[in-house]
Amino acid sequence: MNALSLSEVTVDLGPRRILERINLVVTPGSFTCLLGPSGCGKTTLLRAIAGFTPLSSGDIRLGERSITELPPEKRHTAMVFQSYALWPHMNVGDNLAYPLKLRGIPKDERTQRVATMLERLALGGFEHRSVTQLSGGQRQRIALGRALIIDPPLLLLDEPLSNLDASIRRSLRGELRQLQKSLGLTTVMVTHDQEEALQMADQIVLMREGHIVQVAPPASLYQQPADLEAARFLGVDNTVACSPQDPSALAGAKTLGFRTREARVDVAPSVNALVRRGQVTECVYTGDGYQIGVTANDQTLFATARTPVEAGRFVTLQVPESALIPFGPDHRYMPSLNAQEHTA
Amino acid sequence: MFPAMTAVVLLYALPLVRSLASAFHGDDGLTVAHVVRAFTLYGRDVAFSIGVSLGALVLIAIASIAIAGYLTLGATRWAVRVLRWLYRWPLFIPFVVAGQLSRSFLSTNGMMNTVLIETGLLSAQSAQSFLDWRGLILTFAWKQIPFVTLLLAGAMAAVEPSHSEAARNLGAGRLRALFHIVLPQAAPTLWVGLILSLVAMLSVLSVPMMLIAGNPTMMTSMMAHRITYYGDYGVANALGLFSYALTAVTAWVYLRLTLARETQR
Ligand SMILES: Nc1ncnc2c1ncn2[C@@H]1O[C@H](COP(=O)(O)OP(=O)(O)OP(=O)(O)O)[C@@H](O)[C@H]1O
Ligand SMILES: [Mg+2]
Repeated sequence: MNALSLSEVTVDLGPRRILERINLVVTPGSFTCLLGPSGCGKTTLLRAIAGFTPLSSGDIRLGERSITELPPEKRHTAMVFQSYALWPHMNVGDNLAYPLKLRGIPKDERTQRVATMLERLALGGFEHRSVTQLSGGQRQRIALGRALIIDPPLLLLDEPLSNLDASIRRSLRGELRQLQKSLGLTTVMVTHDQEEALQMADQIVLMREGHIVQVAPPASLYQQPADLEAARFLGVDNTVACSPQDPSALAGAKTLGFRTREARVDVAPSVNALVRRGQVTECVYTGDGYQIGVTANDQTLFATARTPVEAGRFVTLQVPESALIPFGPDHRYMPSLNAQEHTA
Repeated sequence: MFPAMTAVVLLYALPLVRSLASAFHGDDGLTVAHVVRAFTLYGRDVAFSIGVSLGALVLIAIASIAIAGYLTLGATRWAVRVLRWLYRWPLFIPFVVAGQLSRSFLSTNGMMNTVLIETGLLSAQSAQSFLDWRGLILTFAWKQIPFVTLLLAGAMAAVEPSHSEAARNLGAGRLRALFHIVLPQAAPTLWVGLILSLVAMLSVLSVPMMLIAGNPTMMTSMMAHRITYYGDYGVANALGLFSYALTAVTAWVYLRLTLARETQR
């Protein structure tokens, strides 16, 4: 049985079609990331699941039950908003206790459960603090705690980490993932940060302009993006036209894509590799090496080097065959002979 | 800064102090005679004014919360749009005209009774005039509800939608989201609206003059009466003093409430 399933979900806001025929299944206990560029409809999809955006057509099921016609308060999904939406006129304890109060749980038990939740969030004793006096990371945890305190069948997160600075974000990613695993919570999280999605998700849903482009586990999404545009979004920043002397396994491909860190200018030539000769135009220090801009056949490609390379020098850019991503004439991913061997 | 201050002192503070002073000023210097006289003569009117104002304020609060709440959380789009357009128009009607309207609406042969009788909800014999305290409360409320609603709806709209959405997501219906989440955050504005309405009701002369024939009536009527018939500014100003006292008490309560909330944060 699926924890959540969407079939043919379509949403119009005013005259505009925001989501078009979305089909998706989420298995119980899994972590799904909705990933895509700004404005592609991730938040709208999450709000449709939570019941804040009506569907024009389609169906949403939680377990066996259709929730399409239910108002938000009857859906029992728990959503964490991007702005956290903590209520400023209630203190931390009251914020956490409110969902329990709505469920008619007696005061003693509420106090007990709030205290337990705060301990779990590493914020023990914060009951009487005002939510306006918390740091961003603390607010984020309280918002998460408020959603988790009712043991929801489905947790919805809208960019829960995007308002935090990089270091907290990294540590919270791990914490969140661990919490989710230990509670076996079915989770759908929106993000536009591909690194976040790759690190956290069991399944990534790549979206573009109201459509789902690809649904795949992180590794396959990263190595076999559905098309050229998806590849670019996932950090494939170089593309070249395929030529006859390129590795034979890729025959038939029109375009080859690769990531800058897979391309080298300072290694010995090898047989099974993409090779382009060109002139260095720039050299930028990136922390763990240098990023080299190379102009080859009137096209700028990027590669990495361990040591700086002077501008103007002629170099040979090489990408190993395993790092090349082939695309057909229609710009769609084209399984290469090698990849087929791998998967076989 | 300086000219502004001078203007405020000359145009507002000075006349206020003068009128207050004249309430305590008799032929032989300082006296409380005016205040005592005002109270013995018009004690019932003071009580009547307080009762009518409180009644109207309760009505205003209930109606404006209902309307503003619906404007903020209402589910039916077209109904919200119609209501948004409808509720404002009494704002543009002066108190005199409002008084006139309610006279023809609430009197024994007024429109309300006519409609009630024609629809068979009321027998012609039991028709009665509403031109007493009830008419006053209804007229004041009718006139002030749009104003308070306007303020309150603005304050409710300023509460982030995600706040009520979070409540609904966690299991609160619309009504609970309104009373637990949105209204508490908009409450200071409701208080301001109610205090301003109280001040308006305590200073309007036309409505009580038009609706209420005999005694008791609102303090404003009596103040005007005292001045136009007797030229008795002392007692009139003493009555004015009661009005100030009433609004001051309300303002104090409001400040106490909001300050308590601020320090709680
Ligand atoms: N209330 C609305 N009325 C009309 N159009 C809307 C409304 N809300 C969002 N949209 C449009 O729907 C599209 C999808 O918006 P959505 O907020 O779902 O994007 P998103 O993927 O979450 O983007 P971001 O990463 O920037 O948050 C956008 O083009 C937006 O302009
Ligand atoms: Mg969004």
